Amino acid sequence: MAEKVVEVSSLVKQYGSLTAVDDISFEVYEGEVFAFLGPNGAGKTTTVEVLECIRPLTSGSASVFGYDVTKREDTKEIKKRIGVLPQDFSALDKLSVKENIDLIGGMYDKKLDTMEVIKLLDVEDKVNERFENLSGGLKQRVGVAAALVNDPELVFLDEPTTGLDPKARREVWSVIQNLKKLGKAIFLTSHYMEEAQVLADRIAIINKGKITVIGSPQRLISEYGGLKVLIIRKGGKKIAKTLQERFGDTTLNNNEDIFVKVDDVKEMWQTLSTLTDMNIDKEIEIQTPTIEDVFLKVVGGRITEEGELT
Amino acid sequence: MKRTIIIFKAVTKNWLRSRSGLFFSIMFPVLLLLVFGAVFGSQGASTYSLLIQNLDIDGTPTELSEVFVEALNSTETFTITTIPADITDLRSYARDVLGPLGGNIRILVISEGFQDNLINGTLKVRVGITLNTTLTMYQYYALSMNETQKEAIEQGIEQMEQYNASLPDKKASLAVILDDSDQSSGIVKSIIMSIANAFNYELIGAKNVVTFQEEPFTERQLRTIDFYLPGVISAFIMTNGIIGVTTNTTEFKRRGIIKRLSITPLGKIEWILGNVFSQTLLNLMLTAIIIVVGWLIFDVQAIPDVFSILLIFLGSLLFSGIGMLLSGLIKDVEAASAVGNAIAFPMMFLSGAYWPVEFMPDYMRTIAKILPLTYFSEGLRSAMIYKYPEGIITNTIIVAALAVIFIVLGSLVTRWKEK
Repeated sequence: MAEKVVEVSSLVKQYGSLTAVDDISFEVYEGEVFAFLGPNGAGKTTTVEVLECIRPLTSGSASVFGYDVTKREDTKEIKKRIGVLPQDFSALDKLSVKENIDLIGGMYDKKLDTMEVIKLLDVEDKVNERFENLSGGLKQRVGVAAALVNDPELVFLDEPTTGLDPKARREVWSVIQNLKKLGKAIFLTSHYMEEAQVLADRIAIINKGKITVIGSPQRLISEYGGLKVLIIRKGGKKIAKTLQERFGDTTLNNNEDIFVKVDDVKEMWQTLSTLTDMNIDKEIEIQTPTIEDVFLKVVGGRITEEGELT
Repeated sequence: MKRTIIIFKAVTKNWLRSRSGLFFSIMFPVLLLLVFGAVFGSQGASTYSLLIQNLDIDGTPTELSEVFVEALNSTETFTITTIPADITDLRSYARDVLGPLGGNIRILVISEGFQDNLINGTLKVRVGITLNTTLTMYQYYALSMNETQKEAIEQGIEQMEQYNASLPDKKASLAVILDDSDQSSGIVKSIIMSIANAFNYELIGAKNVVTFQEEPFTERQLRTIDFYLPGVISAFIMTNGIIGVTTNTTEFKRRGIIKRLSITPLGKIEWILGNVFSQTLLNLMLTAIIIVVGWLIFDVQAIPDVFSILLIFLGSLLFSGIGMLLSGLIKDVEAASAVGNAIAFPMMFLSGAYWPVEFMPDYMRTIAKILPLTYFSEGLRSAMIYKYPEGIITNTIIVAALAVIFIVLGSLVTRWKEK
């Protein structure tokens, strides 16, 4: 059984009359990637900042490595052992990549060799480049490097890919996957469904300060994702009518594509067998449910690219 | 301490590589010193243009009117232009002569009969003095005189009175025409009157009873630029603190740099000290550059000593403290910059950094007394120029006290934890 590195119980955080985090409880275990998935304003960053000891909580309890985030002496120990990539990470513009990482590293009594971290993040060729001249993706990599310079056991990555183009986003994913291989526990926050599904061992969906569901992506999909869908491209009305009569739950869109929801593998084979019997020679696709379907089911909306709930 | 030094190095390096930061912190004060130095740095006195119309002519100007003009010229205060005697519209003539950028019009008219009236007037005064003296003596010694002596003296007095009465009672007159807007009109009038008085005394044979001797307050004669140089240093140490620290700290805060550092074991006090040390280094560099430029170009007197360096450190603390206080109270970078400017610029001009507080009206002097820069600039001037111990000690104590107050307030409002 892996050790708990984070333990949160009935955590509440209020700003005046606004409840940003509303009675949430969860744990994060060593070596796992734990994702907080939710739209802007859901309470993700607030929760993370409470755990990073830079924001006081209103009620409940939170501990990191067993140290209480509300106790001054404990926070010193926590800060030594965590690495943080804050939302919208920035550094001193006129300092180079190495100088900025050295700056953060210099704050710790024990730290890794800066060049070792730079190699790990694959930014060796930019080591003397000023921070202001880096692309968005490279800046995030420098941020991750700065988060690792103290060789932390737990790394907080708050919206690490927000605002990055798809290529840069995948580069950051690759970095996170490498961190996992190093055995670090990672607390990731994101509003990108795919990101959470690809990277996380467990996901907590948070909305309006409350955790709606929590579990591994597979379990969440299986419990809340709904049925698989068989898609027959340009199938047309006639085939749709036949499939509707035999299997029910069939729909046709404006492009004449047919969508048949299937409960299990057996029903899928039966559908395919029927299509074979009908000598249908159409393009067939199997669509499996994703975390987006889970989110739609449990929250009742989708998240836009900008992180807004619709 | 290790973390403070790392912050100090990083913030300083970041600033040294910023062209705009370098320009406004170092180059701009140097440029301002060069401009003011060029205007006020000259050792020679200013000269004023003066147009003179001499109406006291008899074919050529009379001897005494010429001597008077020469006396004015010998002061080396005026650039004299002569207006022909037949010109009647003096203002138009002067405007034509001076041209569109010629500055203020100053005209002196020596009236017709200047020499005659001067001679007659002098004679009348001298006869009057003699008559007066004789009368006094006569009244005092009359009792010891016989009748013959008395009669002779009374006859002499009567003749002198008749002669004095026969002398015309006209005075040699001078007329000056000055612009109302001319700020130097007082100086010009004073100089002309001084020359006229000197003429009066010389002609009546009066000797100076009161003598006037000028001695410099400092070992070497100070010039305006000597006063100005510590003012530039103190004013820009103030702006580097109030505007620089406010803008930088608010920008670091906006970009999450302070938040990122607060998640490490770095403490708030270590962060503040690192920044204050960086400001102190910047201000020592500014002082060194300004003094070197002052020495090389304007031959200024400023000699920094241990008190100057102590004051610069205390000033850096004081104004960084005000900067931290502002950046702690204001979230928005633009607003922080605007408030910083709104505080720094009036303080720069009301504190006596650029001109003596004594030049200002009473209500402004009262304002100057509550401005920290007043004590800082006065202390720095006392330490660098006047070498005036009381001024150094008093102002250093005030600056130190204010530095403690503002650095404590600044630290209290600097948030190391979110709300």
